[in-house]
Amino acid sequence: MEQGLELTNVCKSFATAQGELKVLDSISFALNPGEVVSIVGASGSGKTTLLRIVAGLETPDDGIVKLNGNKINGPGPERALIFQQFGLMPWLNVLDNILFSLATSDLSKDEQLDRARDVIARVGLEGFESFHPNVLSGGMQQRVGIARAIAVGPKLLLCDEPFASVDAMTRLNMQTDLLNIVTQQGIMVLLITHDIEEALFLGDRVVMFSSRPARVIEEIDVGIPKPREHSVRTSAVFQKQRARVWELLQEAA
Amino acid sequence: MGTPTRSGITPKNTPASDISRPVARLRTFLARPGVLSFAILIVILTAWEIAGRTGILNIFFFSTPSAIFIKAWSLLVSGQLLFHSLRTGSAYFLGVIFAIFLGASCGLAMGWWRRFGAVVDPYVVFFSAMPRIALFPIILLIFGIGDVSRAIIVFLGVLFPVLFNAYVGAKQTPQLLIDVGRVFGYSHNRLFIAVILPAALPYLIAGFRIGITLGIILIVVAEFLAASAGLGQQIAVTAQTYQIAEMWAWVLYTSLYALVIVRGMDYLERYLMRWA
Repeated sequence: MEQGLELTNVCKSFATAQGELKVLDSISFALNPGEVVSIVGASGSGKTTLLRIVAGLETPDDGIVKLNGNKINGPGPERALIFQQFGLMPWLNVLDNILFSLATSDLSKDEQLDRARDVIARVGLEGFESFHPNVLSGGMQQRVGIARAIAVGPKLLLCDEPFASVDAMTRLNMQTDLLNIVTQQGIMVLLITHDIEEALFLGDRVVMFSSRPARVIEEIDVGIPKPREHSVRTSAVFQKQRARVWELLQEAA
Repeated sequence: MGTPTRSGITPKNTPASDISRPVARLRTFLARPGVLSFAILIVILTAWEIAGRTGILNIFFFSTPSAIFIKAWSLLVSGQLLFHSLRTGSAYFLGVIFAIFLGASCGLAMGWWRRFGAVVDPYVVFFSAMPRIALFPIILLIFGIGDVSRAIIVFLGVLFPVLFNAYVGAKQTPQLLIDVGRVFGYSHNRLFIAVILPAALPYLIAGFRIGITLGIILIVVAEFLAASAGLGQQIAVTAQTYQIAEMWAWVLYTSLYALVIVRGMDYLERYLMRWA
C-alpha cells in the first residue's frame, strides 16, 4: 500500500483584519514512495501552511491530502516534522527530548530507550545524552530535532527550513547526513527551503511556488543519482539546474 | 629584634615575607564583602547601645541591643520561641500549601482550557482586587480564633498571586512547543502535563515567591488581630504590655523566620529549575 503522498487541489485562506487572505490556491502534486521533494518559493508564499496541513496541524479549506491512500485529518505517527526553530523542550535533556516523541508510541519503555539510543548514534549525538538544549549549538540542537523525528519511524518526514537557523558550514554537513539517513531508510521527505542549493542537493524533484496565493508554477526533476556526495554541488548538472530554478523563480516574482 | 626598624631595614633572621604575609592575608580577609557587612552591623549595634545608654535614644521605644539579645536568648532556651514558631508555622503552611496547590492547578487550567478560563476570569479579577483581610472578621465569626481562621487568611492572600502567575505562564507557552507535542500525537490533556506544566514552571515559581512573602505578612497581621499564640501575637502582646525589649526580640525572630522561608524558596527554585 505504498502509494506515496498525494495532494489534490489544496486551498487555504486565513481571516485577517483586512479580510480573507488566500495563501494556497489549488495546490496539487505528489511524492512517490522514497522520494525527496523540495518546495521553493518566496517568503510568505504559504509553504509553511502547506507543510502544517500535511502534518495535520491545520485543515485545508478545500482539497484532499492522502498518504498511502489514507486521507490526512490530524497528526499521525507515520509523519514527523523537523522545525526551523528546533522546538526542543528546554527542561528535557537530549535523551528525554528524543523519548518525548516516542512516549505516545506503543513501544515498551525499554524499546523506547533502545530506539532513542539508536537514533542518537545515527545523528552523532553519543555522549550528549544528558545535556540540556541551552548548552548545545544550533547544529547540535537540530540533530536532536532530527533524531526525535526519525525515532518514531515515519514514512514521511516534513522539514520546515530545517537548517535556516544553523551556521553555513554545519548546514552543508547536516544536509549530507540527513540525505544519508532518509535514503538508507527510504523515508519520503517534503522539504521547504529558501536555499536553492539545499533544494537541489536533497531533492529528487523541486516544486516551485508562486508568491501569495501559492500556486505550483513548475516542477523539475533534479536528475542527479543518489547517493550524493558533497562534490555534486560543483558538477555541471547541479550548476545548470541551479540557474534554471533561479530563472523560474525570478520570472514568477 | 625581629620587627622592622623605622628605616624599613629588616634584620636578616626575620625575612620581610614572614611579617608581610599575615598582614596581606588579614587585608584580603577584611576586604571580603561579608566581613565588611558584619563590621557595619557591629558599628550600628554599638552606636545603638551607646545611644540608648546615654539617653540620646529613648530606650522606652528602642531598648538596647544588649537587652534585646538577653531577651532573645531566654526566649530561645525557654522553648517559647519553638512553641510560638510552630503555632505560626502550622497556620502558615496549611494556608500556603493549599493556596499553591489550588492556585497553580486552577491558574494553569484557566490558561489551557480557554473556555473554563473565560468563565472563571471575572471572579478571579474581583477577588484578587478585594482586600481579603476585610473578610477576617466574618472568618473569625465562622471558624473562631483557632489556626483555621488564620490559615484561611493566608490561603486567600497566597492563592491569587500564584493563580495569576500560573494563568499567565500557561498562556505564554510557546506555540512551537505545543505544535511539537501535537505532531507527535499528544492529546490536549496529555499536552497539559508534558508541555504546559513544565513550560509554565518559571512563572509558577515567581508566583510562589510573591505568595509566600505575602503570606508571612498576612499571618503576622492576622495574629495581631486574633490569636492565642504565635510570633505576631507575641509582638502585639509584648508591645501592649510595654515589654519593649522582648517585643524587639520577637520582631527579630519573625524576620529570621521569614528569611528562612525565603531561603527555602531559593533552594526549591534552584532544584525545580536545575535545567536552566
